[in-house]
Amino acid sequence: MKVAEKRLRQLGNRMLQELKRGNSPYIEIPVRALGNVYFDSERRLLQLGEKSGRRYFLNLAHAKKFMQTLLVASYCLELIQKGKHASLRDVYYALKRNLPNSKEVTFQDQSESNPVIEDLEVSLNLLREELHISADRKGYLIGNIVLRERVVDETFEIDASQLGTGGWGIPSNVEEIEFLDIQADYVLVIETGAMFERLAEERFWKKNNCLMVATKGQPSRGTRRLIHRLYYEANLPVYVFTDGDPYGWYIYSVIKQGSINLAYLSEKLGTPDAKFLGVTMSDVDKYNLHGQVHKLKEGDIKRAKELKDYPWFKNEEWQREINLMLEKKIRIEQQAFSSKSLEYVAEVYLPEKIEKEDFLP
Amino acid sequence: MALADELFREFRSMSVSEFFRKNAAMLGYTGRIRSLTTIVHEGVTNAIDAGEECGKLPNVYIRIENLGDGGRYRITIEDNASGIPEKYIPEVFGKMLAGSKAHRNMQSRGQQGLGISGAVLFCQTSSGKPVRVISSTGEKGIIAEVMIDVEKNKGKVSKKEEFDPKGWMGTRVEMEAKGVSYNRSKYGAFNYLRLTSLANPHVQIELIEPDGTKVLFERVTEELPKPPKEVKPHPYGITADDLLRLAREKGGERKSLKTILVKELSRFSDKRVRELKEKMALILLSRKLETQIEDLDKYLSEIQDEEEKRRIKKIYSGFLSQAAKILRKEARYLNWEEADLIVNAFSRMKLLAPPTEGLSPIGEENISRTMKAVLNPEFVACVTRPPKTYRGGIPFQVEVGIAYGGQVDEEGIEVFRFANRTPLLFDRGGCAITEAVKSIDWKRYGIDPNKDKVALLVNVVSVHVPYTSTGKQAIADVPEISKEIRLAVMEVARKLMRYVRRKKREMEKEAKMKALLKYVPEVAKAMSRLTGASEEEIETELSELISKKYLSSEDFSEEEREEAIKKEEKVILISNGGGLDEGSRKEAETTRE
Repeated sequence: MKVAEKRLRQLGNRMLQELKRGNSPYIEIPVRALGNVYFDSERRLLQLGEKSGRRYFLNLAHAKKFMQTLLVASYCLELIQKGKHASLRDVYYALKRNLPNSKEVTFQDQSESNPVIEDLEVSLNLLREELHISADRKGYLIGNIVLRERVVDETFEIDASQLGTGGWGIPSNVEEIEFLDIQADYVLVIETGAMFERLAEERFWKKNNCLMVATKGQPSRGTRRLIHRLYYEANLPVYVFTDGDPYGWYIYSVIKQGSINLAYLSEKLGTPDAKFLGVTMSDVDKYNLHGQVHKLKEGDIKRAKELKDYPWFKNEEWQREINLMLEKKIRIEQQAFSSKSLEYVAEVYLPEKIEKEDFLP
Repeated sequence: MALADELFREFRSMSVSEFFRKNAAMLGYTGRIRSLTTIVHEGVTNAIDAGEECGKLPNVYIRIENLGDGGRYRITIEDNASGIPEKYIPEVFGKMLAGSKAHRNMQSRGQQGLGISGAVLFCQTSSGKPVRVISSTGEKGIIAEVMIDVEKNKGKVSKKEEFDPKGWMGTRVEMEAKGVSYNRSKYGAFNYLRLTSLANPHVQIELIEPDGTKVLFERVTEELPKPPKEVKPHPYGITADDLLRLAREKGGERKSLKTILVKELSRFSDKRVRELKEKMALILLSRKLETQIEDLDKYLSEIQDEEEKRRIKKIYSGFLSQAAKILRKEARYLNWEEADLIVNAFSRMKLLAPPTEGLSPIGEENISRTMKAVLNPEFVACVTRPPKTYRGGIPFQVEVGIAYGGQVDEEGIEVFRFANRTPLLFDRGGCAITEAVKSIDWKRYGIDPNKDKVALLVNVVSVHVPYTSTGKQAIADVPEISKEIRLAVMEVARKLMRYVRRKKREMEKEAKMKALLKYVPEVAKAMSRLTGASEEEIETELSELISKKYLSSEDFSEEEREEAIKKEEKVILISNGGGLDEGSRKEAETTRE
C-alpha cells in the first residue's frame, strides 16, 4: 500500500474512533500563515512552526470545511486506488454538488477546494502530487537536456533542444521525470514569458551553454521542484533573472527559500544556493536605464517595505537594494534593455553579469 | 339701565337637553360611523350593566338595519335583565343627567346619566322618530314610545300599551337614526362589539348586521364578575365642594358635622376626630403666625420668652375649640371656608387607603381566556395590578393583557383601550393609555414594535374614571394612573420577552442543528469510504452527536438578563419623576399606617 493511501485511512480511522467515543471527529491541520512560519537561517529555508488547529465537525464554524476536507480526502483515496490523476479543477468539479434538502453546495467555486487540498497536504505531510492531484502546466524549459516522462503506462523521451522557441511545458508533477542527458553549465530562471522567447530566438541557451526556465510569474510547484532537482541532482548553479520590482524579487525569494503558504514544502521546493542576477537598482545606474524606469505605486512601496522586514532579506546587499528602491521610488522591467537594442540582454547584459558573477545573494 | 335691559332681553336659561342637542359632538355624535357606534355603545352599556346588577349573565342582542333614505338606520338592542318598571321608563330614556350611577361612589360603565338619553335625543333630532321601548319585569310587559321634551329636559311617552310577556324578562330598545352608517372598520359598531366581548368574557353578544350576517361573540366564562360595591368617598379624594354637598344632602335631622364625617366617609372613624381637630387648629395657628405649617415646630422651639410661649399656647387652644365647634355644628350649616379647612386638614392626616371593593377588574385568568378566544394568538400574558388610588383617595386598578403572534391581526402594536370594561375607540391620541404604551421601549424586550404582531388590552377600572371629556373616549393623564399602566405593560412585556427569547433560542438551536445535519450524509459517505465502516451507522452516530449537543444545553443567563431589565425600568420610572413621585409618596404613606 502506498504511503498516501495508508495516511488517508489513518485519518479516517482516527475520526471514527472519536465518533465512537461520543466526541466530535476532527482533523488536525498545521496553521499555514505568516504567524506560524519562521526562517531557518541555518538551512536558509522558510519552515513551518508548531502551531496547528483542529477542524471539528460539531463546530458550526468548522463544519462545512470539515465536510469539504473529508470529501477531498475520500476522493484522493479513490484516485490513488484507480491510479488516475486529477487536476485542481477536476477535483472541484468531481466534488461540487448540492447538499441534500438544501440550496447549499459542497463547493461554491475552486477557491474553496484549492485551500482544502493544501490543508490536507499539510495535515498528512504529503505532496498533492502524492495524492494524485496535479496543477496546470505553467513553466517552460529549453536547452541541452534530454528527459523521460511517464504517461500512465507509456514513456516519452523529450529533447528540450529540439523544441524551437516554445520549449517543454513543465508538468505539475516532476517526481517521475528522469534526466537522461544534460549538457549545460548553469540554469537561467526567467520571470516573463516574453523575455524567455526573446532569449530563445537569440538561441541564448545554445550560445552560452545553459538551460533556460520561464516561470511566467510566480513559479508553479512543478517548476520550483524542477529547479531544485536540477541544482541538487545535476549540480547546476541557478541564476534568477526577474523584473526589478518587489514582486520580481519575491519570485526569487520563493525559488530560493520557499513561500509562506507552502512553508511545509520548502525542503522539497527551495533552492537556497540560487543567485539573483537582476534586474537590480544598481543596474539602473550601471547600464544607464534612467529613462526606462517606472514610478512605484502605493502598493509597490508597501510590498517593498514588507520585503525589507523579512529576515531572509536582512543582508547588506539586499537592504541596500531595497533602500535604493524606496529612496528613488522606481522600478524597472526586464525588457527595459530593449531601449538599447533587441539583442542587448542576450549579447551584453547577461554574459557580462555571469562572467563577472555580479549577483546578489 | 336701558342698555342692560336690552342686553338681557334675550337671556334665558337653557335646559341640559337643549345644550346637548346643540353640542351632540360632546357625546360622541360626530361622523356617520362614530354616531352609530355611539348609539350601540350606549345601548349595550346599559344592557350589560342591567344584567350584572340583577345577577344574570348578560345576553345582548343587537340588530342593525339599513332603511335606506340617506343613512337611515334602525338599531335594536335587547337584554335579558330584570326590565324597567313602567314609571321609570320616561326617566331612564328621556331625562338627561338622571340615573342611578352618578351619585354612587362605585365602578360602573355609565357614570353621568347622559348615555341612553343622549342616544334618544340624537335619534329623535336626526330621524324625527321616538324610541320604542319594550320592557318586561316578568309579570307585565310594556311597549312605549319615548321622546324627550327638550325644553323641559323630561321624557314624554307618546304611545303606551301593555302586553303579556309570557315569562320573558328584559328590555328591548328600538332606535331610528338618520345620517349614520355601519361598517366593519376600526371605529365601527362591529369592532366596538368585538372589543366589548374581549373585556367582558361573561357576556354573550349576538349581532345581526345590515346584510343579515349573524355574528356571535361567545361567552367564555360562566362566572359573573364580582359585583362592585358602593364605597363611601375617602377623605383624600374629596374636595371642599364635595364636602359641602355631602353635608347638605345627608345633613338633615340636625345631624352634627362630626357624625356626617364619620358616617359618610371611609377610613374616618371617631378615633380620628381628635387628630382632625388638632390639624385644623395647627393650620389656623400657622396662618395666624404667618408661617408654613411644616415650619411650625421649628418656629415654636426658637421662642425663648416664656410669656410668648404661653400666649401662643393660648391661641392654639382657642383654635382647638374653634375646630371642635365647627365639627359640632349642624352639618347643613357648614360653609365653604370651614369645608376647605377640613379638607386641608384631611390631607395632613395619615389615613388608611380606601377600600377597593368598589372595583371589579376582569381578572388575569379571564383576560387570558378571552384574548385567546377572540384573537387566537400564539402567546398571551396578563396582569391585574393591585388597586391603587389617585388624587389621594380615588381607587383605581389597572390590568393589561398582551397577545402575540398567531392570528393577531396587524403588524405592530395594537392597543385595545378599556375603561371599566368599556372599549374606548376614539380620541386615541389624547389618552393616557396610548401615551403610556408609546413610552415603552419595546426593543428592550426583544419586540420589534413595527413588525411583531402584538395586541395589548389595557383596562382601567375606577369608581371614577378621569375622562378627558364628556365623550368618554380617552383617559386623562393622571400621574398615578399613567404610572400604573406603565408598570403593568412592562410586566406583561417582560413575560412576553421571556417567551420570545425562548422561542428565538429554540429557533436558533434548530437552525444550527439543521445546518449541521445537512452535512451529515456527505461526511458519512466520505468517512465510510476512508474507513470501510458502514455509512448508515456513521450517519446515525453523527446525527445523534448533533442532537446530544443541542438538546441538552440550557441557557442560564436568562434570569440575569431579566434582572438587568428590571433595574433599567426603575431608572426610567424615576427619571420620568415629577408628578409621579407625589402620588407614590402619598401612597406609601397611606399604606404605612
